[in-house]
Amino acid sequence: MSESEDEHDDDALAAEYVLHLLDDDERRAFEARLAMDRELQVLVWSWEARLSSLSDTVEAVEPSKTLRNRVLQSVGEPPARRPAQAFWAWLAGGAVAAGLLLFVLFGETFGPEANLTVAFQAELASEDGSQVMVAGVIPATHEIVIERVSGTVPEGRVHELWLIAEGADAPVSLGLLENQGITRIRVPDDIAPGVRTGTIAVSEEPPGGSPSGAPTGPIVAAAQFNDV
Amino acid sequence: MTTSADIENMMARITLRDRDALALLYDATSAKLFGVCLRVLNNRSEAEDVLHDVYIRVWQKADTYAVTGHSPMTWLITVTRNMSIDRLRKRRPETGSDDAMALVADDGPGPEAAAIASSERARIEACMGELESDRADAVRAAYLEGETYKDLAARFDVPLNTIRTWLRRSLMKLKDCLTR
Repeated sequence: MSESEDEHDDDALAAEYVLHLLDDDERRAFEARLAMDRELQVLVWSWEARLSSLSDTVEAVEPSKTLRNRVLQSVGEPPARRPAQAFWAWLAGGAVAAGLLLFVLFGETFGPEANLTVAFQAELASEDGSQVMVAGVIPATHEIVIERVSGTVPEGRVHELWLIAEGADAPVSLGLLENQGITRIRVPDDIAPGVRTGTIAVSEEPPGGSPSGAPTGPIVAAAQFNDV
Repeated sequence: MTTSADIENMMARITLRDRDALALLYDATSAKLFGVCLRVLNNRSEAEDVLHDVYIRVWQKADTYAVTGHSPMTWLITVTRNMSIDRLRKRRPETGSDDAMALVADDGPGPEAAAIASSERARIEACMGELESDRADAVRAAYLEGETYKDLAARFDVPLNTIRTWLRRSLMKLKDCLTR
């Protein structure tokens, strides 16, 4: 098959995938490719967008009054806290733990064993691409290092970093970002285990940060960490 | 009137676990999304179960929608439709056509839908109008009702391969028209 026929076929397959017309085997095979193939993913998104206008003809119907409460109750359940031990598994190993212990005992002084390499990274980019920040986590010191790659903070405003741990019911402020360059933020021990699987987000706030303890301004960007 | 920017803002707040934003999003979108569930499932109680799960998914995954480049409403409709069809397929695994779900022709939009009459909508309607009417019906039935090739083959009384060829050609014609 020529390349253009391949492309044509993929486009048709993507359309059939979006419509759920592939049989089980075809669907599984397609999904396996989809996980690896960015171009195929784009074809799928294009069909999703194209066909979604067909839903405009669907009439809105009010669901029963009780459903709203059911939904809000489902998300209101207290977060399942991970046991503190999970944090130790999160560290790279014994030498790191030793470094951490030194940190705990001597504050800013690190033992030579401390492993200060960045283990997880996340790119935070605003929707329009004007703001880009790169964040990394140093597990040994519980630090998030965040660098402003592009974009500026509006006059009279600051950027505040938040962590939304998986299953958590509220974001926790991690601190304010420098208006330029690199900011290092030490994450409190009790919430550090939630960094790897949680979402971090940057919001725009008045000087001094959010007065309420919850984000008040627009969300600039949000992302999750991946292994380096 | 809730704008796309309002919904975008709600989604951003939901990423930050703002339950009030989820309540606002629910109020702004649940009737439309319930309509989508109901159209696929044709059963209120199942449709409500799916709609519940849709909002839980939104709560957990609101941060992922931006990757797709979709408008928030397109993303919500896509998630809702996917979850509804997953439920439908579980209900009748590989059993082929189920005539209890016979299609009601939907050429006439309801009054609410007519009021929306977005330009997107006008475009897809015009392009659907360029397809032969039974093929346009087949595309609609697959998208809106989650019909399978087997269902469609039975409905139009043509072999499975023929319906597949029909639908693939129709979809490509639709795409050409929409990108013209």
